[in-house]
Amino acid sequence: MADKLLEVRDLHVTVEDEDIEILKGVDLEVDHGEIHALMGPNGSGKSTLAKLISGHPSFIASRGEVLYEGDDVLEMEPDERARAGVFMAFQYPSEIPGVSISNFLRTAINAGRDEEDEISVFDFRKRLKDALELLDMDESFADRYVNDGFSGGEKKRNEILQMAVLQPTLALLDETDSGLDIDALKVVADGVNRIGDQNQDLGVLLITHYQRILNYIEPDRVHVMIDGKIVESGGPELAEQLEEQGYDWLREEKEPVSA
Amino acid sequence: MADGTTTAELDAPGDLVSVADRLDGWLEELDEPETLVEGRREAWERYRELPMPQTASEEWRYTDVEDLRPEDFGFVEPEAARSVEIEDLPATVQEVLAGEQDRSGVAVQVDAGEVYRRLDPELEEQGVVFAPIVEVARERPELLEDRLFSSEVTDAEEKFWTLHRAIFSGGYLLYVPENVRVPEPVHAFRYLEREDAIVGSHTLVVAERGAEVTCVEEFLSPDLEETSLSVGGVEVFAGENATVRYISLQRYGRGVEHYSVQHATTGKDSHLSGFNVALGSDRHRADVTSHVEGPGSESEMLALWFGDGDQHIDHHTLQYHKAPHAYSDLLYKGALTDRGRSVFRGVIRVAQEAQLTDAYQTNRNLLLSEDSHANALPNLEIEADDVRCSHGATVGQVDESQLFYLKSRGLTPLQAERLLVFGFFEEVLGRVPVEGVRSRVRSAIERKLGF
Ligand SMILES: Nc1ncnc2c1ncn2[C@@H]1O[C@H](COP(=O)(O)OP(=O)(O)OP(=O)(O)O)[C@@H](O)[C@H]1O
Ligand SMILES: [Mg+2]
Repeated sequence: MADKLLEVRDLHVTVEDEDIEILKGVDLEVDHGEIHALMGPNGSGKSTLAKLISGHPSFIASRGEVLYEGDDVLEMEPDERARAGVFMAFQYPSEIPGVSISNFLRTAINAGRDEEDEISVFDFRKRLKDALELLDMDESFADRYVNDGFSGGEKKRNEILQMAVLQPTLALLDETDSGLDIDALKVVADGVNRIGDQNQDLGVLLITHYQRILNYIEPDRVHVMIDGKIVESGGPELAEQLEEQGYDWLREEKEPVSA
Repeated sequence: MADGTTTAELDAPGDLVSVADRLDGWLEELDEPETLVEGRREAWERYRELPMPQTASEEWRYTDVEDLRPEDFGFVEPEAARSVEIEDLPATVQEVLAGEQDRSGVAVQVDAGEVYRRLDPELEEQGVVFAPIVEVARERPELLEDRLFSSEVTDAEEKFWTLHRAIFSGGYLLYVPENVRVPEPVHAFRYLEREDAIVGSHTLVVAERGAEVTCVEEFLSPDLEETSLSVGGVEVFAGENATVRYISLQRYGRGVEHYSVQHATTGKDSHLSGFNVALGSDRHRADVTSHVEGPGSESEMLALWFGDGDQHIDHHTLQYHKAPHAYSDLLYKGALTDRGRSVFRGVIRVAQEAQLTDAYQTNRNLLLSEDSHANALPNLEIEADDVRCSHGATVGQVDESQLFYLKSRGLTPLQAERLLVFGFFEEVLGRVPVEGVRSRVRSAIERKLGF
């Protein structure tokens, strides 16, 4: 495969209407089949990176580029990006009262398809059922309104359910592990791994604060973001080091103390 | 108006004479039981004394009818019922009839004349009556006594109510005797096709003790070039422990103005449910009152509207609690796009003797365009001290983060908006027990959203 799955180059991101720069020159490459973990302290810009890649309207790339399979993502509408295979599991998923998960997902699968190419009811049911089983969820779950009154853990599980049904190529998982109990974490992590087994092209950018999920979903690379920049990258052992030592050593290393 | 008539016009229906010019003479000739004629005459006199509602009044502040002269519209004289085959009914009516089979009764009125009526013979045997009011007045007047036009209307309602009483045509009584359960909905179509005309249908639903019935009234018309008025009235009585559902589905074409006064009364421990849908017409004004008179009774009031183009949709509601230990719950939800306008004014009134009342009122408005506008005015008037009441109204736009969430799953902006609008209405629609009504509401909304 010629084009990398995701290439982020010298990316600077600002908030719309405001001058604050949140990302201050990010470089990152994720290839097909790879899993990258992105860690870093609160407010360092991890979610901002994921939201910008998925096209959130609050953020503007003031400099740099983001390529998805060689295409300039910044030129694409959010829904075009999604249909091209970009998926984001939100840190704080929205609630959509009155819209059932199954109705929502059927609309999503058929989005952008011509009427004659729409998924059959039978195929859709099967896909949904498989996804529910994969995540150890009851079938009745699909009749519930999207995230309406869900517990924190249910919301996270629902994000991965959607990933299983929509079968993306690039998954940006923003703190999917937080809010999950120990058993649920294992189920969800297994789910992500199995989705990866089924689609060898899948690349994952996994944002997390905890090394624990990385025991289940083993990353190829671990990156640390501090204050809008990736300040350190390494193998899985970097996550263990962070778990033990925190981020201070990286701050001291990268930023002059006098600041 | 020119006297000469060209041949081309000969086949067209004759020009109508206005209500103002025709009503007195018509009342002289009218072959109806004297009580009805007398009632019409009284109402007509009263109508002429009253001014049109003024925007200076709280109830008509946002709906300006000051320059409207309903009596100048052409009077469509009630015709003798004629009977046509299903195939000869208006296409839109046939479409609905073909779409769902399960009905206990059907009636179709075109302009001021009934053209089709059917009631399950088994129900007829059990004493259910589904017949024109004039016919009932002749044959079983006792069924109308103390019910027909008995509603205590407010000053704000009186102008249109008196007009309605004077000119009403083709209305029917749906009467369900004690402990009879009507299994499927009884469906009345009001089809309007005359231009520059005024029609008014009356609906009277009476459910005796322990009876159960669902009544759907559906208003249809083609788009009209010259405005016509529909001035309707509805009276519903739920007897002790009875269950009555009344659904009004207004799907008129453009060029129609619909004014409707609706009064429902609950008996002891009865269950009443009203659902008002406004999708069509240029202007829709409904005054909906629930007289909660039966201790232990429940009144559910639902409404849904979607205004596009220059539509103006106005609902005024009153939950009037007169008995203790009763419950009422109002949920009115509307969406607007283009230059759509809507008004909601709701009052919960709890009389002193209505202790232990539970009354709720919620109005939510969703604006889908810059130029749409909704007014929401919830009110409480509470004289009893031991009650639980709450009211709330909101006007808002589509939530940006919800929109982004849906787009991030591949939905186009239009699909995302559609899903959010359906999600918004589901809270109301999900409580409506007639699937055909739900699906027609959904497809009408789809069309308005551009699907
Ligand atoms: N819409 C916005 N307007 C203004 N500032 C914003 C906006 N969104 C994010 N920020 C700021 O940008 C910074 C980075 O936020 P971001 O959510 O990307 O952090 P994060 O690394 O995901 O943090 P956490 O680990 O707590 O989730 C924060 O200081 C945040 O307050
Ligand atoms: Mg974050």
